[in-house]
Amino acid sequence: MVLTIYGFALTAGTRRITLVCKELNIPYEFVVVDLAAGEQKTPAYLQKQPFGQVPAIDDDGFKLYESRAIGRYLAAKAGSPLLPHSDPKKFGEFEVAASIEYSNFEPFASKIAHEKIYKPLQGLATDEAVVAERLAALTTKLETYEVILGKQKYLAGDEITLADLFHLPYGSALVQVGFDVFSTPNLKRWWNDISSRPSWQAVKDSA
Amino acid sequence: MVLTLYGFSQSTCTRRVAVVCKELGIPYEFVAVNLAAGEHKTPAYLEKQPFGQVPAIDDDGFKLYESRAIARYLAAKAGSPLFPIYDPKKLAEFEVAASIEYSNFDPYVSRITYEKVVKPLRGLATDEAVVAERLAGLTAKLEAYEVILGKQKYLAGDEVTLADLFHLPYGSVLIQAGVDIFSTPNLKRWWDDISSRPSWQAVKHGV
Repeated sequence: MVLTIYGFALTAGTRRITLVCKELNIPYEFVVVDLAAGEQKTPAYLQKQPFGQVPAIDDDGFKLYESRAIGRYLAAKAGSPLLPHSDPKKFGEFEVAASIEYSNFEPFASKIAHEKIYKPLQGLATDEAVVAERLAALTTKLETYEVILGKQKYLAGDEITLADLFHLPYGSALVQVGFDVFSTPNLKRWWNDISSRPSWQAVKDSA
Repeated sequence: MVLTLYGFSQSTCTRRVAVVCKELGIPYEFVAVNLAAGEHKTPAYLEKQPFGQVPAIDDDGFKLYESRAIARYLAAKAGSPLFPIYDPKKLAEFEVAASIEYSNFDPYVSRITYEKVVKPLRGLATDEAVVAERLAGLTAKLEAYEVILGKQKYLAGDEVTLADLFHLPYGSVLIQAGVDIFSTPNLKRWWDDISSRPSWQAVKHGV
């Protein structure tokens, strides 16, 4: 039975996993969750995802949620080097990179995207002070990315992993609203590399 | 050679690693990083942790940082069920729980801790509006925890994993600050269980 993804195409979490499916050539059936109608808070959907968020998957009866958990599950199942499980050290280095993404990138990038993209879509005013503060903090963090990416090709080492790919949705949102955050040499090289991958091109504007 | 843990004795993230070492029976040498003196921003320390944060480890020459990555590395190396990497479905369920912790718990508790505990220590005023907003957000998330913990003993299933333990440092700081967040029946049961573990008792007041 084919993998079912429940989500909303323009959200970061949903595109984080459709991207991984494209990378791994995993076919999927996409079922839209109508966020505008509040479908994610209905009892039926809460059975799939108790926090009332997208995405969620059903893999032949095995249910999961949280995009980064889903991404790891699919890569592990496929035995893909995108999730290097071969030995504790390679794995440790991958987990450092994955942790950097959700600790040192996500809190800043997601807040900026929320203020500049999602709030206007809901008719709410952007808080430019918050955007400025988050952007300043993100810029500082990215200075360290520049150092790391000067020593190795990708965040976990010289091979691409999920940790790099997980940056694509919010990274692209930042570029879309005109924040050229990947402008220093190593960041530019890395960003051009990951954002030009066919898997991202396939899902960046849809599911 | 024994594991070296660089950090700050009272830091939440340093104690996140220390509690896992205690669980796994891994001896370590603790080296205090003098945050007040800015040691974490010195070139020597930035070699260990390029973002200038604590903790970091040196495991017989193998260097890692990001507390949740360190914990996974140590548990994988020990072959511990705290991190069930040998079974793709158990691993996936673990990663859902781990993702819940850093997406649906950490952003709230870390900000509340900063406002209520860290700022007063620096002579800065707590922003009560921010605390109220974060607390409201956290309370809503913990309602979903209550549902999950009504179906299973721990966050990833019926066995304790790193995902449960990762909640200990910030959970404890908040309770100490008088914020009673684990008051509903299943949350209370779960919290009493994990916070009474000898590993946490050993490090909760400092590494």
